Order: sequence, then C-alpha cells, then structure tokens
Amino acid sequence: MSLRVAEAIAVKDLRIEVRNRSSVSTVLPFAATMLLAFGFALGPDRLLLIQIAPGLLWLAALFSSVELSHRLYQAEAAGGGLEGLLLSPADKGAVYFGKAAAAFVQLLVLFAVTLGIVIVLFGLPLGPAPGLLLLTVVLGIAGLSALGSLLGLLAVRGRTRQAALPVLVLPLVSPVIIAATRATALLTQGSATGIGGWLGLLAAFDAAFLAIGYLVFGHLLED
Amino acid sequence: MIGHVARTPAPAVARHPAAVHLSRVTRLFDGLAAVSQVSLDIAQGEAVWLRGWNGSGKTTLLRVIATAMSPTYGGGSVFGFDLQKRRTAIRGRTDLLSHETRFYNDLTAAENLRFTCSLYDLDNQRVDGALERVGLGDVGTVRVGSFSQGMRQRLALARCLMRAPALVLLDEPYAALDAEARVLVDDLLAGARTRGQTVVMASHEAPPPHLIDRELTMDGGRLVAPVEPSS
Repeated sequence: MSLRVAEAIAVKDLRIEVRNRSSVSTVLPFAATMLLAFGFALGPDRLLLIQIAPGLLWLAALFSSVELSHRLYQAEAAGGGLEGLLLSPADKGAVYFGKAAAAFVQLLVLFAVTLGIVIVLFGLPLGPAPGLLLLTVVLGIAGLSALGSLLGLLAVRGRTRQAALPVLVLPLVSPVIIAATRATALLTQGSATGIGGWLGLLAAFDAAFLAIGYLVFGHLLED
Repeated sequence: MIGHVARTPAPAVARHPAAVHLSRVTRLFDGLAAVSQVSLDIAQGEAVWLRGWNGSGKTTLLRVIATAMSPTYGGGSVFGFDLQKRRTAIRGRTDLLSHETRFYNDLTAAENLRFTCSLYDLDNQRVDGALERVGLGDVGTVRVGSFSQGMRQRLALARCLMRAPALVLLDEPYAALDAEARVLVDDLLAGARTRGQTVVMASHEAPPPHLIDRELTMDGGRLVAPVEPSS
C-alpha cells in the first residue's frame, strides 16, 4: 500500500473541507439541533439526561457520519475527481485508507463539539477514566469512518445514489453504535467493569470494516 | 530461463505489441450500442485522428481504451495489457484529456497537479515547469474553481505534459480553447511525435495534417472507411 497516496487523499479532503466547511456547516447544526430537541423534550430530570446522553451522543455521531460519508464523495463525483482516482494507477486500497483517515479526523472534530454540547446541556460527567473514554471515542469514530468511507462511494456510484446510504449504513454500523454507547455509558457512570469486552468488540469491527474496505473499494470504484 | 528465451525468441508482436488493439468491441448503454463491433490496431508512436458526428461513439471508444469503462462485448489490449485484466498497468501509461478535466475546485492549480504527482508517484518538482509551459505559471496559487473552461483545459494539458504518458487520448481537445491555447494542443501533438508517444484524438476539427498519421471515421458506433494518411 502506498502511504504517499493515502496521505495525499487525506490531506486533499481535509484541505477542501477547511476551505469550504461544507461538512461542519451542515452536519454540526443538525447534531446540535437534535441534542437540543431531546434535551428540551426530556425535561430537567438530570439523572435521566445523564443516562440517555451516551446514546444520544452516538446517535448524533451516526447521523453525522451518514451525511459526512455522502459529502466525502460529492466533491469527487461533481468535478470528475472520482474518475481521476479510477484512472490513476494508484493502489485503490490506499485511496480508501486516505478517505477513511479524512473522515476520521472530520468526525472526531464534530464529535468533540457534540460532546461539549452534551456535557454542557446534559451535565454528562467524563468519569474517572478519561483515557478509556478517549479510546472508546477513537475506536467508535474509526468504525463509523471505515464503513462510511466505503458506503459513501457506493451511494455516488450506485444507481440508487444517496437514498441507499442510510439503508446500507445503519444496519451494518449498529454493533459499533451499541458497543460505543455501552462503553461510554459505563465509563461516564464511573464503572470500568466489562469495558474490555465492548472495546474489544469495537476494535474487531474496526479491523473488519477496514479490511473489507481495503479489499473491495477498488471494485466499487470500477465501472 | 534466460537461455530458454535466447533459443526461442518471443514473437515480434509480444516485444512490440500494438499500442491499442481492439477486437469487436461493443459497448451498450441500456441496450443501445454506443460502440458496435469495433476492431482496431494502432501502432506504437502512431498518431490517429478519430472523426465523426456527435453521438458517433468517439468518446465512448476513447473511454473504453482508457479503461474508464469496460466493453460489453469484445476485448482488446493496450501495449499488450488486457483491457479487462490489466487495467492498472494501462492506466499508468495512459492519459485521457476530455472536457471533464477532473480537477478539484477548492484546490489551487499547483495543488491539483501535486495531487496528480502523488497518485502517479511523480516528482513534485515537475509542477512549476508544467504550469509555465501552458501559460499558467502566474496562477499556480489560484483555486481552480475560479478558472474558465479554457484555463482548465490548459491545466489538463499541463497534467498531460507533466506525466508524459505513452498513450495520449484526446477528446475534443480544441473545444473551449482560444487560438493561443490551440497552439498548445498542436505543440502537445508535435511533442508526442518527437517522444514516440501514441496519440488518439477524437475531434470535429482537423488537426494539422503533418501531426497525424491516420484518420479513422466513426458513424453510428461503427468504424467506417479507415483512411490512409495523406501524402
């Protein structure tokens, strides 16, 4: 695999995002609105808010990843860039890793902002093991990025286009969302018991998604 | 192994395969044939002008040769590499210039070319020279989103010059270009001839005759009446 290609793809995607801020300007308001709506709907019961916050946090991350996955390939498809990638002799697996890395960074930033909103709005504590919480976030976001970067391509290449993206992503990514939510809930409630199992599950899904993406990305890119 | 090769030399066709070899290539879109039963051989270093009306199948044929799309039926090779099985090898030796220039609007001209360098494992130092050669040296730090179609075409020419691929596929290269830029296309053709690159150019407009070895005409997706080079 060519690291130069992966790096070039990731830097290119991030540079484009920094310049046009399309993901931040659409995804962040969506996530913030969702959290605010739930916050007001659930009322002032702080215990309930804290219990439900991890789920809402990862739900916001999931919907953000669906939108981000689509946007990740929108610029490519519009300008013929996708064909440029197709017609280059570059390792398509490296292209996929570059795309996934760019998605990971963008989702991580979005997640950090969303987490800030949840901490302020819901009073969610970070718990006694912030390192493990950070690991949970990294593994969860990696899973969302790995799958979204693969299926986002399918959404712009396939006949069903964008409509297919949520249908494809949501069932496949459910194990990641469940594991990340459970791990986050345990850690924010101050308990690390059983955390290893959830983190292991996250790591296993990440590895599986990345391996599948590396192997099939080139085939999806072809005519 | 070396001794074996010495005793039974490979046939000439294997050592010098045609730049392009197509055998009864057909490409269907929703059941309609854009290209139908096209068989064609183009020698290495040859420059071919592919002419025909809109919808005659020129662009589709170029895209099949570039491996941007697969033939529905038939097959072929580029420099001896099978169109279906050795796409990566073909892509490394081919450049397709078309009206869709495949640049990113939010990147500058130089950033776009540097990105190409990364994909093709080329030295980034080629970028400035290529921009200068097409008259875009002063706008290398300007985002491509503000470029006219003509400037984009120039930038695509810069990319082609930078890469110097063995096979250059040009789809209506004169379109959207002013007189000055059209000279750049002719320079590209002349340079390709000097360097021994193979050129297939689909165009309504005739290129300068001395830069072309052979004319081919397409009509209704078929190759008709191949014309030998004029004296």
